[in-house]
Amino acid sequence: MAGHGARVLVVDDEPEILRAVRTNLVAHGYEVLTATSGSEAQAAYAARRPDLVLLDLGLPDLDGLALIERVRAHAATPIVVLSARGGERDKVRALDLGADDYLTKPFGMDELLARVRVALRHAAHPASGAAAIFRCGGLAVDLERRQVTVDDREVKLTPTEYALLRAFVAHPDKVLTRRMLLQEVWGPEYGAEAHYLHVYVASLRRKLEADPQRPRYLLTEPGVGYRFQTEAEQPPQP
Amino acid sequence: MLPSKSWTGYAAAIVGVAVVSVAIGAILPLARIANVSMLYLLVVLAVATRFGSGPAVLASLLGFLAFDWFFVEPLHTFTVSDPEEWLSLLLLLVASVVTGQLAAAQRRRADEAHRRELEALQLYSVGRYLATAPTLDAALQCTVDYLCSALRLEGCAVLLADADGRLVPRARAGSAAATGGETARWLLAADSGTQATAQPRRWVRVLPPRPPHGPAAPSPRHRFDLPLHAGTAPIGVLRVLAAADQPVLSREAVRLLEAAADQVALVVERARLQEEANAAEVLRRTDELRAALLSSVSHDLRTPLASIKAAAGSLRQRDVAWSEAEREGFAAAIEAEADRLNRLVGNLLDLSRIEAGALRPEQEWYPLSALVEDVLGRLRPLAADHPIAVDVPDALPPVLLDYVEIDQVLTNLIENALKYTPPGTPIRVAARARGDVLEVEVADEGPGIPAAALPHLFDKFYRVAGGAGQPRGTGLGLAVARGLVEAHGGQITVDSVPGHGTRFRFTLPLSAPPEPPPAPVPTSGERID
Repeated sequence: MAGHGARVLVVDDEPEILRAVRTNLVAHGYEVLTATSGSEAQAAYAARRPDLVLLDLGLPDLDGLALIERVRAHAATPIVVLSARGGERDKVRALDLGADDYLTKPFGMDELLARVRVALRHAAHPASGAAAIFRCGGLAVDLERRQVTVDDREVKLTPTEYALLRAFVAHPDKVLTRRMLLQEVWGPEYGAEAHYLHVYVASLRRKLEADPQRPRYLLTEPGVGYRFQTEAEQPPQP
Repeated sequence: MLPSKSWTGYAAAIVGVAVVSVAIGAILPLARIANVSMLYLLVVLAVATRFGSGPAVLASLLGFLAFDWFFVEPLHTFTVSDPEEWLSLLLLLVASVVTGQLAAAQRRRADEAHRRELEALQLYSVGRYLATAPTLDAALQCTVDYLCSALRLEGCAVLLADADGRLVPRARAGSAAATGGETARWLLAADSGTQATAQPRRWVRVLPPRPPHGPAAPSPRHRFDLPLHAGTAPIGVLRVLAAADQPVLSREAVRLLEAAADQVALVVERARLQEEANAAEVLRRTDELRAALLSSVSHDLRTPLASIKAAAGSLRQRDVAWSEAEREGFAAAIEAEADRLNRLVGNLLDLSRIEAGALRPEQEWYPLSALVEDVLGRLRPLAADHPIAVDVPDALPPVLLDYVEIDQVLTNLIENALKYTPPGTPIRVAARARGDVLEVEVADEGPGIPAAALPHLFDKFYRVAGGAGQPRGTGLGLAVARGLVEAHGGQITVDSVPGHGTRFRFTLPLSAPPEPPPAPVPTSGERID
């Protein structure tokens, strides 16, 4: 539960949101810096080098996207974007610019804390191709032998499906935009059109998921892309 | 009048005099008739009435000379021996010239009256077309069609200035419109017309452009631009392309065109004023709508706010020792009501974006089955009490849609079915390709909707009056669904049988999806099996 003193910079121009987020993060053991504008955020970032940035895209003085670019020019500090519903295009642009994750306002505190935890974990242990076998729940992907098993039962995948799954397990828990997936699987010249990406995701789900209607691994991020989820979903209602 | 016609008149004068001379020659030996020369007056009269004064003068002179030559002593000379005969001949000449002039003047007046009548009729026709056509464009089209046929023009067009002052063709007619190509280009070219609108009323004669290197030089045409004015402001031109065999328009044609231009200008101006009035009306309605929105939505906004405030206030009570369960209950209420508020605000924002025309669907090819699965997966907690049957074949072609928006449509329809049917009521979600559309259906076997309510179901803020225990909607969900479906080029419909259930259907246009990208190339260093 504890944040182990990780330093989080929260950027939002809404004082009530800042206050709520700060209270929760501090209660969970994080060190919290706050900024209410882009320039403040830049100054705080340069002076204190946070371990993670929670960034609202709608800032009064500076485009949040520009801030992402500036941070990314120097460092791989994880960035989680906060944005209102309907801002799907902005979210996709933020992710394509290098943001790690996003949260749609209004968000629940559980969700926020979970995203912060995941982002920090991946920053600490970046997913590398070192492990020959990727395991998650009942799913195992043997990257050496290109073999996929679900609950020790081998699953036959087409080359495209396999390439797509490999892209997912290379970035566990990270939101992948359609552009990212297309470029990773089909090559850098693809990305403008999503074409049959969704068809391949659907067929992967049918082959890997116990209940394709309620995927456990391959989650849809509406209007943005997909996410490979490693932690089993919490029960939807307490 | 036309040269050909006057030649006919002179020829008729000659023939008429010849015929009468022969007739007199035939009669004279039989009976000596005094003043038989007056027969020539008949020819003069006929020619004057039919062909005007020129031929009549010729007929008079010819009659005078012919009578002198053939019948006055000495015969076959132009000399006259008897001074009495001389006087008689002179009287014949004077009488025939005067008669001819009078008859010709009468003829001219009749012609003029006829022309006036024709002009009045033509102008009346133009006015009627302009006044009775249902739309401005139809009115302009009828007018140019009519002018084209009535004046035997090669082409006729109305060009109106747009907001930037550029001339835009609004109606055209004639062979030029049909054949297109060079002729149509002359008729519709906006180049010189721009200047024409700025100039006071006058004819602008435009010579045909010299063909650059074309094999067939177009036969020359004469184009005339007649500016249209509203007050003093130029608003466009009435343009005429004269036929090749009739390059110069008659004065009558010009008069008609000028009168038509005046009427067209009036009608165009009237249409513009009407448009402004309509815009004002729309503005007024929008204001009314805003008021309706405020009164309708303020209730829906206040209810969750009241719950939230009550729960938060309770939690802060210092003098009450809440149990853990009670605290949890208040917190859960705050969260649930905040979610409700969020959904309401989301629908309101969607609705305002739809109404502002600010919806820009970000469409991509998507398999509908995957979207339906996502939506049902998300709604599962709400749908615990309802069996949901899904019939969406995977083999359906992918469809071009904005994921977030069509997700919203399906969510609203399924949420409605869940909300307005008793627990246990089966719900069916189905999709199929039908012709060039994909049809998606959300059907329930609930109590149904009264027939009287169906036509208004998709109106915003419309709610079906229900019993006291019935849940109240916001009257936004279906309006939003319709707006989003229509933004995708689809249609949404409902049919319902009270007691048997309700079925919503919406369509999305199908088109051929692009080719799938090629299979990925395995990166180096990996084994290919």
